[in-house]
Amino acid sequence: MNVLVPSIAFGLISASVLAIASVGFTLQFAVTNVLNLAYSSVMIAAAFVAYAVNRHGVTIWVAALAAAATGAILSLFLNRVVYTPFQRRKASPIAIVIVALGMTLIIEYGTQAIAGPTNVSYSMSQGSTLAIGSFRLTVAQLAIICMSIVLMLGVHVLIRFTRLGKAMRATAANRDLARNSGIRTDRVVNATWIVSGALCGLAGAVFGMDAGTFGATSTDLFLVLILAAVFLGGPGEPYGAMLGAVVIGLGTEVSAAFIVSDYKDVIAFVVLLAMLAVRPNGLLGAKA
Amino acid sequence: MQSRDGLKKRRAHRSLGFAGVLLVVVAASVAVSATGSAAVRTGVGNSLTIADVAPFTGVDAALGPTYLVACDAASNAIDKAGGVDGNQLNCKSVDTRGDPADAVPAVRQLYATTSNLTMVIGLTSDEAAAVVPLINGNKTVAFGMTGQAEFDHIHYPYFYRLVPADLAESYAMVAISHFMKHYKRVALAFGNDIGSQTFVGPAKSAVAKAHEKLVADETLDLKATTFRTEAAKIIAAHPDVILTEALGPAEAAFLSEVKQQNGGKAIPIIGTSATISPDWYKSVSAAVGASTLSQGFLADNLVVDTQGAAYKAFKQAIFAEKGKVGNTGSFSTYLTAPGAVHLYDGINLAALAMVASKSTQPSVYKGYLSKVASGKVVVHSFAQGVAQLKQGHTISYVGPGGPTKFNNYNESNGIFQVDSYTSTGKVKVVANIPNQWMAAVR
Repeated sequence: MNVLVPSIAFGLISASVLAIASVGFTLQFAVTNVLNLAYSSVMIAAAFVAYAVNRHGVTIWVAALAAAATGAILSLFLNRVVYTPFQRRKASPIAIVIVALGMTLIIEYGTQAIAGPTNVSYSMSQGSTLAIGSFRLTVAQLAIICMSIVLMLGVHVLIRFTRLGKAMRATAANRDLARNSGIRTDRVVNATWIVSGALCGLAGAVFGMDAGTFGATSTDLFLVLILAAVFLGGPGEPYGAMLGAVVIGLGTEVSAAFIVSDYKDVIAFVVLLAMLAVRPNGLLGAKA
Repeated sequence: MQSRDGLKKRRAHRSLGFAGVLLVVVAASVAVSATGSAAVRTGVGNSLTIADVAPFTGVDAALGPTYLVACDAASNAIDKAGGVDGNQLNCKSVDTRGDPADAVPAVRQLYATTSNLTMVIGLTSDEAAAVVPLINGNKTVAFGMTGQAEFDHIHYPYFYRLVPADLAESYAMVAISHFMKHYKRVALAFGNDIGSQTFVGPAKSAVAKAHEKLVADETLDLKATTFRTEAAKIIAAHPDVILTEALGPAEAAFLSEVKQQNGGKAIPIIGTSATISPDWYKSVSAAVGASTLSQGFLADNLVVDTQGAAYKAFKQAIFAEKGKVGNTGSFSTYLTAPGAVHLYDGINLAALAMVASKSTQPSVYKGYLSKVASGKVVVHSFAQGVAQLKQGHTISYVGPGGPTKFNNYNESNGIFQVDSYTSTGKVKVVANIPNQWMAAVR
């Protein structure tokens, strides 16, 4: 089929956007133990902040930094004001999930109340189209893929080679043991919310660039794809999330070339279910 | 250590309390906005409520506010003319979120909390099938925006439509493609919502009757964020034209992909009347460029008066609302948007029927809706109508949407026209669609 090759290129772009979001999500989950379902609503709120900055004539590539800052601040706020108090009261994980769901609605509808019900687009150029046969990408899409690769490398360096990264890994593995070993786990958790929140905000801006147009509820389905990528790779595994994003991104776009395209997101879950049947803890999770 | 722990606990309790209060307060505000909040306008005499039952959140979130502009425009003009026998009209929003599961409880709550409800407007294809029986059961006159085919065959005595049936719109789109533009290869790209999918079957049948070739049929998931592969499949089929309706951000994302993957060259588009809307224009023109849209886009629409006395009154009423609504792009698009034109007419018809019947009870004034549209003296506004009624004349209200003649299913459809957008976002009437074109593809 003559749309197979283009669909692989499209899959790489989808995977790039998904990877930024999924790595942030799984990092957050690994260290803080919070399944933050409000993640996608923070993403879209940050995307709208980038839009506001972009409307004032600032290029979207710079405005994306404002989105990252918004994501970091909003995520830290969520942790300090909402999740931590519930955790201190020993709320069950499912209760925290319900709180997160509530926060999703609050942030999403709050964003809509402020930004209005209409859809918006960034003022940006896609640049020229680069083609190798039928494998075509615009300069902007290529930049998104490059940005995603740089961010993934950055996360790798952070986790493997920095003190914060080591503290994150220790906290994720066993928070009590980490604290007893002298690691200030509260600070590590806060730093994780900031880093993962920045990734979340950046993902929001990149999501807006990629989608072309977006509204306050645009990331509802995207959250499902993030969860699919995270659990496919193994929850709490940043490298797993990267791999999961590639599989889901490629899977959805390539499958759209062969089946009725409005079912393409269902494919993400067929892949997830099939994979979990073989490896219940995900591709890079501990073996069951 | 103990006192520090105690302090920490108190702080935790305080934070928890704050979080709880925040959650409850904002959730309550969300719930209020979701189930409707009364307009703030007040007036002398009794107040009658018109409920705008439509999506205010979700992918079709732009529809509810558009209808509310029409509601406020019509009711303000009526109130300025003295109201309905001294009764002032209020508009109230009821958010269905574009989902029948949310719409039914929202409408139930509307009835539980609104004793002076006199009319319902809105009712898109998202929720109409679920809530029209409920509204009809409560004997409330409703003017709906849905074009769903099921309402062509089921009679709900209290449910009225001034908008074209989806079936007829599909024929109109194919008629434009075949007779006006002489296209041979047609692609369909409709959203996966009920309202958009209802066009697909009739469009396929009309394409076959017009001896055009259907080269692609893509369903666009309105909740998806990218449509790259869908666009690639359409481009690979080399269509002359794309017939489309996908509301929310989907249309803009899809058409921008088509243009980008087609080497920056847009494929001609024919849209439904729903694409004549400020929100649709704003999002699509931002994504594909206003000049692209002005060159390669046409849409079917019912004939709308754009010059006469009815239009003048309508324009004045609509523009009185400018600045009261959010940033919706080109405000003048409301002057031809079906949601604005036909609901404005519906409210005027109902208000005149109330005056003619000397009752604000839907069960009583309903019987006068046809009468005030078929009398001897033609009037173009509520004020003119009331003046004539007071002189003992029978009236025929002809608003910006043209004359009204309800059939057995309370539908009134006029002649179709072809609209386009100028590069500044104004709607331009290109031509009327002759009845023989429609008959040829029916």
